[in-house]
Amino acid sequence: MKNIIKKITTLAWTFSILVIVYSCTIDEVQDPDGPSVSGVQQNASKGQLNELVVGIESTIRNGLGTEVTASGTMARELYLFDADPRNTGDLLGKDGIPLDNNSFYSTQQWNGNYRATKNANLLIEAASNTEFVTDAESNGYIGFAKTMQAYELIQILKSYDRARLDVADPDNLGPILDFNEALAQIRALLDEAQGNLSSTGGSFAFPLSSGFSGFDTPATFTQFNRAVAALAAVYAGDGTSALTALTGSYFDLGGALDLGPNHIFGLGGGDQANPVFRVPSTPENVNNGDQIIVHDSWINEAEAGDTRVASKAAPRPDPSTQDGLTGTHETRLYATNVSDVEILRNEELILLYAEASILANNLQDAEDALNTIRTSASLPNYAGAQTADALTTELLNQRRYSLWSENHRMFDLRRYGLSSTLPIDRAGDQVYNVLPVPLSENE
Amino acid sequence: MKKTLLKKVFLWLFLALPFLAFSQATVRGYIQDELDGTPLPGVNVVIKGTTTGTTSDFDGNYEITVNNFPATLVFSSLGFETREIRITDATTLNVTLAESATGLDEVVITGLATSVKRENLANAVSTVSTQELVGTTSQSTVDGALYGKVPGVNITASSGAPGGGFALRLRGVSSINGNNQPLIIVDGVYYNNVEVPSGLRFASGANRENEENSSNRLADLDPNDIQNVEVLKGSSAAAIYGQRGNAGVIIITTKRGKSGKTKISFSQDLGSNKIANPLGIRPWTGDSVEATFDAGERAKFDATIAERGSLYNFEDIIYGETGFITETRLNATGGNEKTKFYVGGAYRDEDGIIKNTGFDRLSLRTNLEHRISDVFDFTTTTNFTRSNSSRSFTGNENEGGLSYGYTLAFTRPWNNLFPDANGNYPNNPNYPGNPIFVRDNARNDDTNNRIVQGLALNTNILTTDVNRVKLVLSGGFDYLANETNVYVPETHQAQIGGQGGFVAVGKNNFTQFNTQAIAVWDHDAMGGDLGLTSQAGLTYLSQESNLVNSRGSLLAAGQTSVDQSVNQVIDQNRTEEEDFGFFAQVEGNYKDQFIATLGYRMDKSSRNGDPNKFYGFPKASLAVNFNNFDFWGVEDISQLKLRIAYGETGNPAGFGATFTSFGANNIGGNIGQSVGISGEGLAAKGDPDVEPETAKEIEMGFDLGLFQNRITFEATYYNKQVKDLILTRALPASTGFTQETTNLADLRNKGVELGLKWDVLSNQNVRWNTGVLFYLNRSEITRLDVPAFPQPGAGFGLGLGTFFIEEGKPVTQLVGNIDGVQTQVGNVEPDFQMAFSNNLTLFKQFDVLFLLQWKQGGENLNLSTFLTDLGGVTPDLETAEGQARLATPANALRFVEPAGYVRLREAAIYYRLPTQTVNNIFGETVEGVKFGFSGRNIFTITDYSSYDPEVSVNGGAGLSSGIEVTPFPSSRQFYFHLNVNF
Repeated sequence: MKNIIKKITTLAWTFSILVIVYSCTIDEVQDPDGPSVSGVQQNASKGQLNELVVGIESTIRNGLGTEVTASGTMARELYLFDADPRNTGDLLGKDGIPLDNNSFYSTQQWNGNYRATKNANLLIEAASNTEFVTDAESNGYIGFAKTMQAYELIQILKSYDRARLDVADPDNLGPILDFNEALAQIRALLDEAQGNLSSTGGSFAFPLSSGFSGFDTPATFTQFNRAVAALAAVYAGDGTSALTALTGSYFDLGGALDLGPNHIFGLGGGDQANPVFRVPSTPENVNNGDQIIVHDSWINEAEAGDTRVASKAAPRPDPSTQDGLTGTHETRLYATNVSDVEILRNEELILLYAEASILANNLQDAEDALNTIRTSASLPNYAGAQTADALTTELLNQRRYSLWSENHRMFDLRRYGLSSTLPIDRAGDQVYNVLPVPLSENE
Repeated sequence: MKKTLLKKVFLWLFLALPFLAFSQATVRGYIQDELDGTPLPGVNVVIKGTTTGTTSDFDGNYEITVNNFPATLVFSSLGFETREIRITDATTLNVTLAESATGLDEVVITGLATSVKRENLANAVSTVSTQELVGTTSQSTVDGALYGKVPGVNITASSGAPGGGFALRLRGVSSINGNNQPLIIVDGVYYNNVEVPSGLRFASGANRENEENSSNRLADLDPNDIQNVEVLKGSSAAAIYGQRGNAGVIIITTKRGKSGKTKISFSQDLGSNKIANPLGIRPWTGDSVEATFDAGERAKFDATIAERGSLYNFEDIIYGETGFITETRLNATGGNEKTKFYVGGAYRDEDGIIKNTGFDRLSLRTNLEHRISDVFDFTTTTNFTRSNSSRSFTGNENEGGLSYGYTLAFTRPWNNLFPDANGNYPNNPNYPGNPIFVRDNARNDDTNNRIVQGLALNTNILTTDVNRVKLVLSGGFDYLANETNVYVPETHQAQIGGQGGFVAVGKNNFTQFNTQAIAVWDHDAMGGDLGLTSQAGLTYLSQESNLVNSRGSLLAAGQTSVDQSVNQVIDQNRTEEEDFGFFAQVEGNYKDQFIATLGYRMDKSSRNGDPNKFYGFPKASLAVNFNNFDFWGVEDISQLKLRIAYGETGNPAGFGATFTSFGANNIGGNIGQSVGISGEGLAAKGDPDVEPETAKEIEMGFDLGLFQNRITFEATYYNKQVKDLILTRALPASTGFTQETTNLADLRNKGVELGLKWDVLSNQNVRWNTGVLFYLNRSEITRLDVPAFPQPGAGFGLGLGTFFIEEGKPVTQLVGNIDGVQTQVGNVEPDFQMAFSNNLTLFKQFDVLFLLQWKQGGENLNLSTFLTDLGGVTPDLETAEGQARLATPANALRFVEPAGYVRLREAAIYYRLPTQTVNNIFGETVEGVKFGFSGRNIFTITDYSSYDPEVSVNGGAGLSSGIEVTPFPSSRQFYFHLNVNF
């Protein structure tokens, strides 16, 4: 008996030793399908930095579709007839329903813009902590990243009226700032970026896509930087600074209206399609796919002969009703699902110049600029009073037609306190002019 | 055999020697099955109060030497009721045994290599026998067959499509973002129950993989192959499975061979699938058409009525098919004393209620057991399955024009959508999809080829009268090759001018390998009064997957190959994980009076932040059988057991939770990197320090048996605390990340499970047994480190209602934003569930069986109504009630509905030809013939307004049940069965 127990004990020990021998270490798992974020934080190669540049250029397109359709719906520029009823419900305050801070329309743009912002911060950090690029090259990366970041944060302010600027450390976020304070910091960021770009040398160490052709050297990219600075200055009510910034930009009163960098699109892997394009309806294919319907007021209130109406909208063969709403026209803003979307074109700069001139009380300059726009739309020159108020009204109207369905109207009406002038289409609808900050921000 | 027999005889002789002085004689006889008179081999025959015994041979004959008369012989066999017969002298005693209704004698696998008799069990382990699983009606999947058969289980069907789509929850939700589906082990092999995404969301616009309506791959296991299913529901029972046991363990044992004459069994089922609960169409009038839409629509309505006298009932056109079901099974079992085999094959072909949908499965199985010698024996189980399914398009989408329910919500019944004489399908004027076109031309198919191989080698190292030591080496692999194929023609309405036709081809491989080495030592101490079973061993698990999805759009006319497309996108997703653990367990049984177990398991996993840190999972349990004490004198109370068990289990974070990665993100032909995944809203931040979530459970209860166990009652209470719950939570998106997955909360599940079985009648002509199950579960988030948040990926945000993780609230609550206030609008957890089953055998020829299931309480969020209200087609919109709903704001409160129901889940009647008749007709070759009729989902009583209160738009994972968006409607099935045994 004792013998047996001894045997068993020996066996148990042998077994235990086997166990320990066998319990080899398990290797830490790396993501087999993607590089790690921490891998670029120290001594990133030029190739890695360039991939981050492409990532930024790619991700500034994130959220663009919702940005346009949500703000456009709220500002009664358009309706989105699609599978999500909230597009014709919540955004128009149907039966008094409030905007929700946890629905796609309040989160998609925020998420998209901040993802690009994060990529920019990662590039800034990576370019500052690597020995593989020269100081001049590093400045190029940083100037690019800061300019794009500033542009994205302005988009946040337009939709949410507030923004969080200090977002570099995910575990230690800065506060959400109100509009004026945030805008002041964004303008400072743009100036810093200009400083970086000025010490970059003659060329960038990275390629940009064809969307930035003509704006892909430090000097020409600085023109874009100044255009964004002018935009920010106008939004801050600072006409003089805006006019100064415009002189450093590609603003050209006599130039092509579409001059400026573009978002470009593609259908390949990892690429994105134009999110504002909609398939045109034809008599054979009526109401095919989801539709961006032009708000009737935009058609009806247009000045006779305004060529922008016919170029941006077309009559619907079968104007169906959805959720009690209808419209006679649908969008023709983009020809295909890979058509470019302009980021900031000369036409908008001319309008910014007009606005800055009104703010700086150069009323004749403003009227001249507005006439340039009117002429381009085959309209006669402005015949109203040359007062700041009257010209502002004219300015907003030209912006309404020049920048239709490009995420401007809601912000324009809000900053001029005119949101309450919008039409109500259904009894019980509400006008909202600012999106709620997403729930996940834990305010 | 001979040697063993000799040894045994020697042993018995030795034991019996002291009694030789007394009168000694031989009792012999023949043991047969009461039901059909077949001989029963392997029945244990023991003289009560002694250790003297024998077993019956292959022909059911036994012979035992009795030294002392009078004596009582105890006849026992697995699956049969034990009989005790008193004898006064040497005689021929023929015995019939009846099938056990209570199952107290069955053994339950409790360790990784040991089992215990049910009457000594300290946990409420539920066992479902093959008879209970598939004996009433034909079942297409194992999980779907478990409804109403296991207390403590909650089953949700995410799709009514043939071929499954089920989620099992044992004792509530125990993990939210980890795997909260139980671990499934088939013959010792870890069985992959993955839902494989198909990429159809890139055509339909569905938000996530889990909205693609995939089925879970337990569908590859043929329920008819199963001998029994053991369900270890909580941590206390599953602790020996360590860090994979948090959501419970389902142990499936497939059929084994029986030695003796080779038996062949042939079965044929024929059945039909029909929509269970059509909702009907809105009874439109010209006035209501004009009021809802406009005069133009009224004109179309009038024209249709004038032309054909009625509207088009698109619900009936799409969901109104009668699917044909056929299942053919053939198996053979047999063997000798050394080798036993079970060989079987089955083919099931099931058409759905939507044209061009269906599921078929070919399953082949070989299970072999072989005794090499007294020292070595092995068991091998091999299963090959090929299954195909066509699931078409249902559920949530965004502008894809594919999902039938979604399309029908906006399809007005006065528009003719049938193709014209030239085969041209008209466009749907109100939604970008013609459902008839989609049904006829678009495809969403998958094919699975799967091999599951298990192997166990037993080595009896030492066998003495008080010590038995064996080494059990076992393991197996599960290889699944899955192919998915989605095709949307370029002529589909939503594709024209957009994607221009879409095809997605997935080639997905999953390889799992697991192995374990265990030493078991049985020791009889205290002169046989104390049995000690000790075991120690180690386990290893590795899982790899490689999912490649190739998609093409802008297709050449009529072409279905990715090759024939302009724009091509390929995704690849790989995972690899490894687990390693070891464990030890000691079980002591004192005279069947006290049964105690102590065990400990250590595990590590590559899915944890530190892959080499061991986590410990202890267990302890005690059962006391009062009826086995000497003082017990209550004749009528045949069993009274008190039991208590404690155990811990874990669950590692999902693959990928430990790292933060870039996703490829391109523009203008340059490759770029961005946080998050291109084209999807998701950007996940990893937690390199993530720990497994762990659960501690205490379970207590009693088992009561009355009148020779003709009535048994089991009552169990459990309290399961999940610590460091791994949660995916939305991060402030201003960080650039939308979510992170880390340990954030504690969760508690408490519940009660009651089970009653009653052998009501048992005589020559009538056998009737009945069973009632009752169970409930309550959950609460007891700790949350972050502010309350909506669960990502489960629901549609606070606007429409979502699952919402909030301290002090049930994990299953539904919360919506009501007038700007986050308000709990419902809870998907039922108040309680009950099941009532009855088996009646009349004159040994007729079997009548039925199973009623009752789910009381619990709410669903019915967002199908949201859509149909919007499209104006909800059937009740002609009523004042319907119109009143239309006027209320479109928030969660409007769409929450009670989801309780009473359902006749299964019912059947069978007739068995009398042996005499069989012999007369077929001669000796045929042993038995049985045929019958059965039904599944025969009727449902519910207040729920849609197709089925069992629903989930988000598949089986995570918090998924109870949210409805236009699902595949459930079906009712009727079958004819024929079974012939040779």
